[in-house]
Amino acid sequence: MTLLIGALTVGLILSLLALGVYITFRIFNFPDITTEGSITLGASIAAVMLVNFHTSPAVATIAGMLGGMVAGAVTGVLHTKFRINGLLAGILVMTALYSVNLRIMGRSNVPLMDVKTLFSHNWFGTDTINVFGWDASAHDVTALLFSLGMALAVVGVLYLFFRTNLGTVMRATGDNDQMVKAQGSDVEWNTILGVSLANGLIALSGALLAQYQGFSDAQMGLGMVVWGLASVIIGEALTGSRSLGLALLGTVMGSILFRELVAIALRWGLNPNDLKLMTAIFVLSALVLPQIVRSLSRKGGRHA
Amino acid sequence: MLELHGIRKTFNAGTVNEVRALQGIDLSIEKGSFVVVLGTNGSGKSTLLNAVAGSFFVDEGTISLSGQNITNWKEHQRAKLIGRVFQSPFSGTAPHMSIAENFALAARRGKHRGLSWALSPKLMHGLRDRVATLRMGLENRLDNAMGSLSGGQRQALTLLMATWLEPQLLLLDEHTAALDPKSADQVIRLTEEVVSRDQLTTLMVTHSMQQAVNLGDRLIMMHRGQILHDLRGADKARLRVEDLLSRFEEIRRREQLDESAALMLSERYV
Repeated sequence: MTLLIGALTVGLILSLLALGVYITFRIFNFPDITTEGSITLGASIAAVMLVNFHTSPAVATIAGMLGGMVAGAVTGVLHTKFRINGLLAGILVMTALYSVNLRIMGRSNVPLMDVKTLFSHNWFGTDTINVFGWDASAHDVTALLFSLGMALAVVGVLYLFFRTNLGTVMRATGDNDQMVKAQGSDVEWNTILGVSLANGLIALSGALLAQYQGFSDAQMGLGMVVWGLASVIIGEALTGSRSLGLALLGTVMGSILFRELVAIALRWGLNPNDLKLMTAIFVLSALVLPQIVRSLSRKGGRHA
Repeated sequence: MLELHGIRKTFNAGTVNEVRALQGIDLSIEKGSFVVVLGTNGSGKSTLLNAVAGSFFVDEGTISLSGQNITNWKEHQRAKLIGRVFQSPFSGTAPHMSIAENFALAARRGKHRGLSWALSPKLMHGLRDRVATLRMGLENRLDNAMGSLSGGQRQALTLLMATWLEPQLLLLDEHTAALDPKSADQVIRLTEEVVSRDQLTTLMVTHSMQQAVNLGDRLIMMHRGQILHDLRGADKARLRVEDLLSRFEEIRRREQLDESAALMLSERYV
């Protein structure tokens, strides 16, 4: 039960990262690798503010998110104003962020012991509560409910935002930039804003993850782009829809489901060292399998 | 209204692929006139339109529209004054967004886009009636994705979008060239309707002589990046397809003459 609740909570926290990846990869058609640096940036800013400056957890979290937005804006400016290939712009910023994160933390790992975080609360007043007949730690359940609230709030805000005039033109920017220019909107600024927003969400996810797991680590961003993509792909398979609201919700569900799958696989004896290989193979097969199936069915049709 | 002075544009300058697309264009278009630009492939007619739209900056010359010098304005800044329909039906609309959302984008062409609701009741109210005027039954499909429509439907909607906010200048870039004849006729009829109703200043590029004869009150023939003929008023009204054919034949002959003359000269003297 503890394992399940823990996996659900991490899945919900990382769903914010998946939403950020959804914005760049799917809405803007921009393969943004900044993710791997900006999640750590959010975590390290939040951790250092909590440990060294004793700010409130909310302030530390927001500061982490703002850091991610700045990182994303840098990638966006490199790509649009300096005409650097999108992948390369992300890689440059991600690489630079590795050093920036070490500078911020002062070392490669900052533990969050004995500091109050967003996950220090217990909303129930008792140590254990009964969930569907199981005894669970009330503290863990609070963490789960809090992350669920965060994920739903972010989905709600994103849904509303992408249906405003500004949000609509940002979606159109990824869909047909020539049309957006003809409608008098600046494609470059829209892209910068979008990548910045996405990385803000990703850093927010990092800030929450650091507080939940109790430490920030320079390596924690490794493989996170593929992780986010896996969530997005599972989400699309679950909802199978291009409708905005369903796609956003699907991404959150994809993140949870993927985390659960990972927890189960680890439980069944998957070597944690193989986890990233497995994730990469999963995403690869999710991208390639539909093509293979299509070409097979086409061949089958020719014979018939 | 629209003033072009000494416009020159060379692509790939200094390379073997150098193309002198525009070679000194002077053109002045009065408010409310409907100008058709006709020319062969490579005559520079689309380049002229793109120069006005701001797809690139010109090498020399000035462009001014409604008394403002827009020579150094970027494409999206010029869109404040200019409505456009492209040759490809895919260029003017966002395929994965609904018809209504596409119009929400067009309804704020060149204006500030803030955090107010895109599909406002005010927009939706007028939208249904305006789309119904197309008589394509699309007013009941406003939530459908633009990408699910045919090329003709998309061009008709693009035209409606370009004129949703009355533009100072309407640019039509061979906007029926990619359509089947029936859809092309429909879009041309709609074009006449919209342009005459709102008295729009229009610059239309075409390679259809039939369209060039039937539409507009002024005809410009382009060849090799220059304006060859400029017909207006009674001359334009009297014009028939045969006249255009003979003018093109004239160009062809003159060019042949140039080449054969060059050949003759080189044979004799070199």
